Amino acid sequence: MSYFRITLHRSAIGLPQRTRDVLSALGLHKRSQTVYHPVEPQFAGMIMKVKELVKVAEVDKKLTKWEVKAERRPDSGFYLEKMAPRMEDEGQKVGSRVLARLRGEEEGVVVEGVVREGGGKVRI
Amino acid sequence: MFGAFRATNSLSGGLLWKIPWRLSPTQKYRQRQRLKAVDSVVETLSTALAKKGETIKSLERWKDEMPTEAEMLAKDKYTIFDRKEKRYRKGIHKLPKWTRVSQRLNPPGF
Repeated sequence: MSYFRITLHRSAIGLPQRTRDVLSALGLHKRSQTVYHPVEPQFAGMIMKVKELVKVAEVDKKLTKWEVKAERRPDSGFYLEKMAPRMEDEGQKVGSRVLARLRGEEEGVVVEGVVREGGGKVRI
Repeated sequence: MFGAFRATNSLSGGLLWKIPWRLSPTQKYRQRQRLKAVDSVVETLSTALAKKGETIKSLERWKDEMPTEAEMLAKDKYTIFDRKEKRYRKGIHKLPKWTRVSQRLNPPGF
């Protein structure tokens, strides 16, 4: 089913009441407002009445109010990058394994000697 | 000659509107764009209805009677018949709401 996508482009201020009534019957109350109506003679007749004020396109699908709004939203001008996968901090990893060994949680790690250096680095 | 009480046209005569007698080239350009926009709306309606095998009287009447922007003479795009004017023509911008009404036809011969 196809629809007329009707956007009010020009205001109806100062135009005859009949014209303004046609717009409100179409559901157009503000400039740049977009409504969808099925392709039927009665809607075509209403559009003919206000053809100087609206932009019309024939579309296959009705968009929701939010989808129409998203179309109008300008590009944000930036994008967010995902955090790059980092090299694992070698010292921290070894340190945690050493601690696990010392606590007796992990088997098989031979602790030769633990040396604490200035930055808290642990070397095996 | 200067100051608050100088005799200008608007002060001595009250209301003075100055509307240029002809359109500027940019006004004419925008007028053409508006005419084309109306043509495209009519075109969209007629193709959409034709797909369903339907039509409406007002659309048929418009297509029969009204010239499209390309078919119109420059005279009819930018001026309008007026019986009170010298040479029976005045700028279309003298027509109230002229940017939002369709005024394409004039009496034949004028």
